[in-house]
Amino acid sequence: MTLDERFWGRVALKSVASLSLGFILLPLVFVSWLAFFKQEIPSFPPEGYSLQWFEAVTRQKNFVNGFKLSIQVGVMATAIGLLLGVPASLALVRYQFLAKGALNTLLLAPLVVPGVVLGTSLYVFQIETEIATGLPFLGSFWGLVAGHTLVVIPWIVRLVTANLEGTDRTIEEAAQNLGANPWVTFYRVTLPAIRPGIVAGALFGFVTSFGNLEMSLFLVGPGRTTLPIAILQYLEWKIDPTVAAASVIQIVLIGVAMLITDRYVKLSRVV
Amino acid sequence: MAKAGTYDIEKGRGSTAASLLLPATIFVAIGLLVPIAILFRYSLNAFVPGKFMVDAFTIENYVKFFTDPFYLSVLWRTLRVAVFCTVACLILGFPLAYVLARTQTRFKNLLIIAVVLPLFVGNAVRAAGWMTALGNKGFFNAMLMKLGLIDQPLEIMYTENAVLIGIVAVNLPFMVLTLQSVIEGISRSVEEAAFSLGAGPATMTRRVLFPLAMPGILAGTILTFILAMNAYATPVLLGGPKFQMMGPLVYGQFAQQNNWPFGGAISFILMTATILLTMTANILVQRRYQTR
Repeated sequence: MTLDERFWGRVALKSVASLSLGFILLPLVFVSWLAFFKQEIPSFPPEGYSLQWFEAVTRQKNFVNGFKLSIQVGVMATAIGLLLGVPASLALVRYQFLAKGALNTLLLAPLVVPGVVLGTSLYVFQIETEIATGLPFLGSFWGLVAGHTLVVIPWIVRLVTANLEGTDRTIEEAAQNLGANPWVTFYRVTLPAIRPGIVAGALFGFVTSFGNLEMSLFLVGPGRTTLPIAILQYLEWKIDPTVAAASVIQIVLIGVAMLITDRYVKLSRVV
Repeated sequence: MAKAGTYDIEKGRGSTAASLLLPATIFVAIGLLVPIAILFRYSLNAFVPGKFMVDAFTIENYVKFFTDPFYLSVLWRTLRVAVFCTVACLILGFPLAYVLARTQTRFKNLLIIAVVLPLFVGNAVRAAGWMTALGNKGFFNAMLMKLGLIDQPLEIMYTENAVLIGIVAVNLPFMVLTLQSVIEGISRSVEEAAFSLGAGPATMTRRVLFPLAMPGILAGTILTFILAMNAYATPVLLGGPKFQMMGPLVYGQFAQQNNWPFGGAISFILMTATILLTMTANILVQRRYQTR
């Protein structure tokens, strides 16, 4: 082997890597570019640039309402997900018991069950629940929240358990030896230690919920759409700078959430 | 486990573990397993036009799917697209994952965010980006025409090629992140050892890196394959109404035809095909790397 060979190997490696990073980012670059076009038709080169479409978005009722609904559903699903997921993570890391692996797999499963399958099965489930209870479940706000909670839980469990595994258990024991009861120990010792995992899990959960499309398609009701569905339906009809501007708002929101998460936990460790 | 800790079963706190774990477990079990069971039961019901769903116990819906050339062609197309996209993701993803895993720069976190961000932005938004780039008056056609390479715009949008491009871009981050975490666990020194024993980069990659990264390659391949099989937004937006894949087909049966039994059956066929192929790949790869 010559050093030359290693040099060219490096060049080839870096060029394919840049190509694929470019490929991943390209669609975001184009949609952001389109949002600032002056003319309405997405033809290149643009005739000029303008900020008018960001104002146009605010007049699109579908986008505004979709954005509000997505935020509400995301916040509720994340809150419920935390209430269910954090205690479960504690049990998974701190205890030894039968079928632990199976339970862990079950709690992470909604992440790998495809959205279409998840959506269809929740759809028929909610129909059956409606028949059984007589309550309007399908297409309701809480029906949507329940589905989203299902996809939020795996992120919270994944990130909080990862965080818990890295914390030193002897500190908790020390607190107990010094007379703290389990609740105080949890509140004063464990909770501060796993705060990064909780913050990251909550943000990832929120972002997953906010961007969820396939499952939500089956669960939304008439006149009640989330932002990704509003964008999808608009795009089925046409593409113009208005929908691009709505997309940019979503990209910025999620980007900011990622940057905040990164301050708490290094993303390279958790995804 | 030695002395009593905060949460120790020796102290008879086994019930604490149960009460911590139970709410989430019940929620996921009821929200995931029960619905899938109900969906399966629905798929055995009959559909009478005009009368909606009729209780029955029949495999008619499955027979209908496998005897109709149209539905078979949709399944076949879905498989073809999924296999192509998975291979493309592996080829494009491995180098990027390797660079991300081995890089020493301060900007590593930004690079990771650049990979993760598109993943969370959602498929519809990314499809919008490709629509801008690939349309008749889009960026690529405008560029190629300006350079004089073509006179007529290329028809890329609403073809299988557009869908392939879209799905590869959608799934690439999943592949990259899975591979990156595995490559980070492989010690740099085994690579150096291969080099100092005279292997070139290509030999080192084939004989050392690939076998060691095999669990990650398998996990990433399976994940991207599942996602490609079940793609919805990308085929709908980039393939147009005439381009049918399994995901949109399921949605159509539920939302437009109101044929829940048949929709359920297609959903199950899709899930079964995905699981079977995933398991086959798993067994094949494991056998190959065990006998060595």
